[in-house]
Amino acid sequence: MTETAVMILCGLIAGPVVGGLVSGLDRILTARMQSRIGPPVLQPFFDVVKLLAKEPLVVNVWQAFCAYCYIAAASIALVLFFLQSDLLLIFFVQAVGAVFLVVGALSSTSPYSQIGAHRELLQILSYEPLLVLVVVGFYLETGSFKLTDIYAWPHPMLLKLPFLFIVLGYALTIKLRKSPFDLSTCHHAHQELVKGLLTDYSGPLLALTEIGHWFEVVLLLGVCTLFWATSWIGMAILLAVTYFLEVLVDNITSRMNWRWMLSYVWGVGLTLSLVNLIWLHQG
Amino acid sequence: MDMRAVLTVILVMAPFGGALLCAVLGASKAIRSAIVLVTGIVLIVSALMLAPLVPFRLSAATFLGADLHRIIQVADAALLLIILYYGFKHRHLTIIFLAALQLGLTIYLEEFLVKSPPPVERIFCDQLSLMMVLIISIVGSIICYQAIPYMENHEHHYQVMRSRQPRFFFVMLLFLGGMNGLVLFDDLVFIYFFFEVTTLCSFLLIGHDRTTIATRNALRALWMNSVGGAAFILGMIAAYKATGSLGLQEVLVAPWLAGAGVYLLALALLCLAAFVKAAQFPFQSWLLGAMVAPTPVSALLHSSTMVKVGVYMALRLAPGFTGTLLSQSVAVFGAFSFLAGAALAVGQSNGKKVLAYSTISNLGLIFACTGLNTAESMTAAMLLLAFHAVVKAMLFLSVGAIEQHIASRDIEDMRGLYSVMPLTALITVSGVVMMIMPPFGVLLSKWMAMEAAAQNLYVIVMIALGSALTVIYWARWAGTLMSDPFAGRFRPEHQPVLTWLALGPLCIGAALLSVGAPWLYLNMIAPMMMGPYSPAYAFKAGGLENAYGTFAIIPLSVVAMLGLIVAAVALKRAFRAKIVSPYLSGIQTGEPSMFRGPMNQPVKAEAKNYYLDTIFGEARLTDWVNLGGGILLTLILGGAL
Repeated sequence: MTETAVMILCGLIAGPVVGGLVSGLDRILTARMQSRIGPPVLQPFFDVVKLLAKEPLVVNVWQAFCAYCYIAAASIALVLFFLQSDLLLIFFVQAVGAVFLVVGALSSTSPYSQIGAHRELLQILSYEPLLVLVVVGFYLETGSFKLTDIYAWPHPMLLKLPFLFIVLGYALTIKLRKSPFDLSTCHHAHQELVKGLLTDYSGPLLALTEIGHWFEVVLLLGVCTLFWATSWIGMAILLAVTYFLEVLVDNITSRMNWRWMLSYVWGVGLTLSLVNLIWLHQG
Repeated sequence: MDMRAVLTVILVMAPFGGALLCAVLGASKAIRSAIVLVTGIVLIVSALMLAPLVPFRLSAATFLGADLHRIIQVADAALLLIILYYGFKHRHLTIIFLAALQLGLTIYLEEFLVKSPPPVERIFCDQLSLMMVLIISIVGSIICYQAIPYMENHEHHYQVMRSRQPRFFFVMLLFLGGMNGLVLFDDLVFIYFFFEVTTLCSFLLIGHDRTTIATRNALRALWMNSVGGAAFILGMIAAYKATGSLGLQEVLVAPWLAGAGVYLLALALLCLAAFVKAAQFPFQSWLLGAMVAPTPVSALLHSSTMVKVGVYMALRLAPGFTGTLLSQSVAVFGAFSFLAGAALAVGQSNGKKVLAYSTISNLGLIFACTGLNTAESMTAAMLLLAFHAVVKAMLFLSVGAIEQHIASRDIEDMRGLYSVMPLTALITVSGVVMMIMPPFGVLLSKWMAMEAAAQNLYVIVMIALGSALTVIYWARWAGTLMSDPFAGRFRPEHQPVLTWLALGPLCIGAALLSVGAPWLYLNMIAPMMMGPYSPAYAFKAGGLENAYGTFAIIPLSVVAMLGLIVAAVALKRAFRAKIVSPYLSGIQTGEPSMFRGPMNQPVKAEAKNYYLDTIFGEARLTDWVNLGGGILLTLILGGAL
């Protein structure tokens, strides 16, 4: 019982803390790649605290409802991950958050927000099947959807699921809102849709969407660790390399349109998944 | 007399009686409404009283002193003659041909082929039948209740001179009786008769408005379902040749015959009949055409009950074809329907069509689970059957109420519906939430389906894609309903009491049923897992669990409830927040959604939804999807041989 409570607490703390730090490191790394110095590593926390202290402004009261549902689902998904629950269930719970974020954006009539929301739906459409197939890959290798069993697997998964790791990379890039898939909203100032999906979230509600995003980032990085779950060092190296590549890709690619995203991600992603799944199935 | 027999008779005959009374005395609104209300209550009470008595088998040789078998035979012939009459009346060659074919085959089967005495244990009610009876009696009655105010408005709107409501409710109630008969009898001849009753009822109800398009779509439904009827009777003949019996349970406990050509062909033909009834590709057009009917008809026939006949039959037959190529091809066919239905739904802006494609899609998933044919997948199929029926009926009724209020069924016209009819909009949004989100039952069954399908690559890839598409079209719809520049107070709109009495219980019932999923599983589904199956899930820590997966229903429901409360408090506090106008690049005028355009003139800012019809439009996909469905059907029939 106490162990469960500790794990729940870990999940609730790890989300904002680790997520915020990752975001801070991301900004420094990006700045260095662009020959800037960049903000201090704690800058994301300062930003969020400042937003939280602002006067609440809403366009439609349901935005508040949706923002809270988003952060609730994102945090529950991460807590379930820490509780070593069913991977597919975790996936479904995080999808709840993604949908509420979109519904909240749609509840504003601003065209920027509306188009951003639709692009976000297309992003969801692009990455969801891939995440399911990655989870199926884990099942075919370990015979279970439960994280307890997957973490207990004695061999590094990356060696059997290399293509599925690349597929997860696509999903991660979309989820982290990195180029070339940052269609709906992004952290950089090159968005033709103002802030797209998040245009009409402001003040404390915007802060909530940011914290929710941190929870999601930590969850996805957690899924990455499953690929080398046999040693802490392996996990750390894999995470560092993956995240570095994400930032690199973000800085060397330009944003594409949704048609390209859908055809490219489904085309390449599904092919790679199928190859890997057939390999597991026959092997 | 045996209580079980009495209840069975009431469940089948009470709607027939109510129907006749409606036809005779139904001219007055009060009497008609009273008949519908009383019939509904009788059905609901009987169905609930039946619940503790299952499973049972009963012999039923006579009814009111006459030979029951003979009654059904005569009724069946009469029914086919009525269909033949409509065929001649509308000069529809296909219908005439199919009806005549069925008549000929029935006579051949019953008079020349069947030598041995027919089985006497004709009534068979297990948990699956009970589940169907409960859905038909409770959801069906609720839909009939909502139809009372709906049809009043409907006739008012169309300015009908002489009310045709007595006929309407006659057919609606007849249909409920037919459905109950279909699921309570075991004799294939009886099932076939009731199968045809539902076909005829759907024809009459779709054509109810007597417009050109309604008649055309009704005829299409009739000929397509007649194809199903013909397949059914051919399947019966094959089944009799293979096993020498027409009792479904006897046919199915013929394991030594599994793999024998004629036997599998019989099951494949019966599956074909099931696919037609469930409007699977390439037979989807009758269901889409049926959307011209008044919305309670769509809800009754095409979401919660009639199309469920198809999946009910497949679930019944499944133990007969475990481990065969037939089973695998049914799985692939179902998964294909799931994906194709979801893709086509994405391309639609017509709300009822979205519901129709979503129905086809969900039924496809149930077929896929049936074809996978493991204990896990059968559990998923039965749960999905129950949850989908309730939630989809609620969504159909909401759309019906919306349609009568705003005179449109287009999703674009529902933009900002929350400011016009807040309560209906909220109920619709909760319906959407129950379709795609945990901890609700539809998603629980989808989770089970995915875990059960993970071994089958074709099926899981199609389910993964279809599932993502499903999220898109539901989320888009929910968001559109809430898209509103105002943030005014919540004031429920005015609706007839019976509309609220239909929507409210369905909404609350669907939510409670989801929380009760573990008990639903333990009491209704686990006892069904015998023969080739064994109970797949254990009830542990408030959730369902097996060797490789856990779905913590109760804890998750509690947490979701907490999340909901927090969000609701936030909502309440947001009313006190400062309301600002949506972002319009800083040049908005005082009015919502208006900005200062050229020459300082106000311009309305508009954004419409993406329907992606260059990719998912009907014009682009339908032919390909029909082709795919046709090829897979050939595989099913050919694979059986």
